[in-house]
Amino acid sequence: MESAEIRATIRRLITDITRVPAERIADETSFRAELNIDSLSLIEIGVAVDYEFRLDSPEEAFATVDTLAQTAELVEVQLAARRGAVAAR
Amino acid sequence: MTHRVGITGVGVLSALGDEPAAVSRALCAGEHARCPLHPPAGADPAANGGFAGLAELGDAEIAPLRGFDAARYLGAETNLRPLDGAGRRLAAAAALALEASGWTAEACAAEAVGLVAGTMFAGMRTIAEFDRRALEAGPQYVMPLDFANTVFNAAAGQTAIRHRLTGPNATLGGGPVAALQALGYAADLVRAGQARAVLAGGVDELSAEALRAFSRAGLLSGAGEGPGVPVPFDGRRDGCALGEGAVLFMVESIADAERRGAPVLAEIVASASAWAPVGEPGRSGPAEAPDEVAAALARAIAQVLGRRDGAALALDAWSSSASGDVGRDRTEARGFTGALGEGARAVAVTAVKGALGEMLGAAGGLQALVLIEGMRSGRLPGIAGLATPDSDLGITLSAEGRAVDLRLGLATAVGFDGAVEALLLRRWEGEHFATR
Amino acid sequence: MTPRRVVVTGLGLVTPLAVGTEATWTGLLAGRVATGPVRSFDATRYRVDRGAEIDGFRPEEHLRRLDPASVGRASQLAAVAARLALADAGLAADADPRAMPERCGVAMGTTSGEPAEIERFDDAWVAGAAAASDPRFVSRYPCHVIAQNVAREVGWRGPVAMLPNACAAGNYAVAYASELLRSGRADRMLAGGADIFSRITYSGFARLGAVAPDRCRPFDRERKGMIPGEGAAVLVLETLEEARARGASIYAEVAGYGLSCDAHHMTGAQPSGDGALRAMELALVGAGATAAEVSYVSAHGTGTPANDRVEAIALQRLFGENAAATPVSSIKSMIGHTMGAASAIEAAVCALAVRHGWIPPTANFEAADDDCGLDFVPNTARRHPVVLAMNNAYAFGGSNASVLFRAVPA
Repeated sequence: MESAEIRATIRRLITDITRVPAERIADETSFRAELNIDSLSLIEIGVAVDYEFRLDSPEEAFATVDTLAQTAELVEVQLAARRGAVAAR
Repeated sequence: MTHRVGITGVGVLSALGDEPAAVSRALCAGEHARCPLHPPAGADPAANGGFAGLAELGDAEIAPLRGFDAARYLGAETNLRPLDGAGRRLAAAAALALEASGWTAEACAAEAVGLVAGTMFAGMRTIAEFDRRALEAGPQYVMPLDFANTVFNAAAGQTAIRHRLTGPNATLGGGPVAALQALGYAADLVRAGQARAVLAGGVDELSAEALRAFSRAGLLSGAGEGPGVPVPFDGRRDGCALGEGAVLFMVESIADAERRGAPVLAEIVASASAWAPVGEPGRSGPAEAPDEVAAALARAIAQVLGRRDGAALALDAWSSSASGDVGRDRTEARGFTGALGEGARAVAVTAVKGALGEMLGAAGGLQALVLIEGMRSGRLPGIAGLATPDSDLGITLSAEGRAVDLRLGLATAVGFDGAVEALLLRRWEGEHFATR
Repeated sequence: MTPRRVVVTGLGLVTPLAVGTEATWTGLLAGRVATGPVRSFDATRYRVDRGAEIDGFRPEEHLRRLDPASVGRASQLAAVAARLALADAGLAADADPRAMPERCGVAMGTTSGEPAEIERFDDAWVAGAAAASDPRFVSRYPCHVIAQNVAREVGWRGPVAMLPNACAAGNYAVAYASELLRSGRADRMLAGGADIFSRITYSGFARLGAVAPDRCRPFDRERKGMIPGEGAAVLVLETLEEARARGASIYAEVAGYGLSCDAHHMTGAQPSGDGALRAMELALVGAGATAAEVSYVSAHGTGTPANDRVEAIALQRLFGENAAATPVSSIKSMIGHTMGAASAIEAAVCALAVRHGWIPPTANFEAADDDCGLDFVPNTARRHPVVLAMNNAYAFGGSNASVLFRAVPA
């Protein structure tokens, strides 16, 4: 999946959960400071992203992400690791 | 001086609409909101509120809220994701009730308004979906916002958050009795000085889980050959049709209402709860011993009427929880006649569930609503769909609405598994000044 | 009519420490910790594995009317606690000429009701067998069955109420029952709460990251979360007049209560503690008492960083300069968070504290937060007269409830 597509998917999930319009979610917009997303919704976003991409990542993985860019990077790293793991079998 | 308590506003979501006077008019005109669970070929598939599958339920009817959009009541900008179906319905009813009773957002911020919400299943759909997600995908994939809604008091909590209701916040489980019990409890809280104003009523959401559960328990009409008769007190009744909705009444002391110039729609005179064991839990039909439950209801009615000899106390109308259930409708009639004796036949009878289905946690609220509207309009609905009244019951039944000078109205409910509730409402005629 | 006074005359407890009040109380005073690895389901798919479960529960040894096989486990716990409470109150014989069954009722609280019922329903659904699911689901699952099953077990016919107010449910049930007694609509009430260990609840708390990895350490600087538990408690409440007339032994009076709602967030407390404070103040007003008169506070104290911080703030605001001198402890340190049963168990513990003049400790305590300048009765029970005990509970959905128990002079 292309980087832009990953970002778009994550942005859609955030909008679904928080109703923050997609236009307000730039790469570096802070979830906590600028978008005022509460802790429960942040956990939900982490779960939704993990479920969407079937990452099965460790629970702490999403605990500190605060921007779209960080989330996308985390997803890309996990996807690459999975591909690497598959290739290695 | 005894603290007299009354109702100053109501918010309702029902299959016949969200405007109390319009709902009452529709009921008086004999309209009903039932539709087939499985729309016939060629019909709009969304007409049944969007239920798919459930093939084993055959000819069941339902009375869903059609086109319910919580955003219309809670604001287009509000993030509704945290709320589930039950929460949206209750919060929407609260918005309507607050507006109707003149309780602005500023007023709620300044005063700790309470909330007592009755229910049967609460967020059962959320609970089931949450649990099934854990089973299918693994416990790490359950959705946190859904977890918050898996507690039975979630709808009440969500409603309090949306409307800044900082007073007592109680949820009452009990299904068909719960909204009446909630009204009684709200009156108690106001009298006890725990809150000056309390929203009281109930909510239940129609769900595939509820439909399956009721079907498996043999409670739904239409399970046998031919069309079902989910009609209260009908001689051919064979069960209920499930409905849904939410109702909330603003309950406050009459002195307070008059002080702020708010009209009092009705006085909550008295309430009573009781219980007796049903033979086999969950069974309806010609049960061997529903008499104990009838006796319990007779006691509760006698308690609210304040009389021990059971003589009618100028009761003008009775709003029953009868739903088409063979055994429970009969139990409720027996309880009523047990309390009123010969006077029972003189009382005008109505039962809203023929038109609106079994609304469970919201049902008692609709029962009270038709009494309150009747006090204002002078009309009481008949029983929609009543074609062959059950003649064994000792009560006067009518399919048509009629004129009634409604000063004193009784609402009763018989729950599943033996709980009963009675609530007495009186038309408020400003006696407050007369008693000083 | 003048509101009647309400007293506690019997207690029944079924907890992870013991089935029975005496054994639970002894365990609490000994600081015994009953939390440990989860046994009732396979917790390997979770990141955490601590729970507080009940051992050696044999309902058939206590129940006389209910057939345990025909009701869910939460109902069993509740009904057994009810039997124990009635026996404790000297009301074990069913034929009691003094009070008519129609004047005796039940008010119970819960968080999850009978979750095993819906879990089985869901198992069938996921297996594609929903059309063949248990026909008794409707009469076994909805939470009101718990209160009704208690009424069925003890043979009472008065008001029956179910208050599924989550973690504040027990206190809400006591408040509801008190109101019926005060207003003369009942002469005797069983009030309490029950919850069983459930995978739905466990999944949720685990998913929120709220479960402690090892022990529950309320108010401790290193606290890391709560530990889900199960249990039931029932209190026998009657009017002071009735209790004296039949020569009952009185634990304490229900002196006052306060109910409020944060109206802030579903799972997080309102940070300044306004809602909690309001409930405590209302209870004191109802009791005609001041904060300075409170001898002991049974805290909600779940052990999560957030709850305990806000609770401590609310306590400091209430007690002001008396804060450091008012003992506060959380028995959740020992029995975990028993959900809807918690504040009922804690109410019973307050009644016991008043009767015996002993205060249970906060176990697993090493050091307080810098913020918390309160006396948490660390690790060791304390002998001290308890004249006025305050029981606090805060729930998901933001409901708060405080109930005051006061010693009754003989």
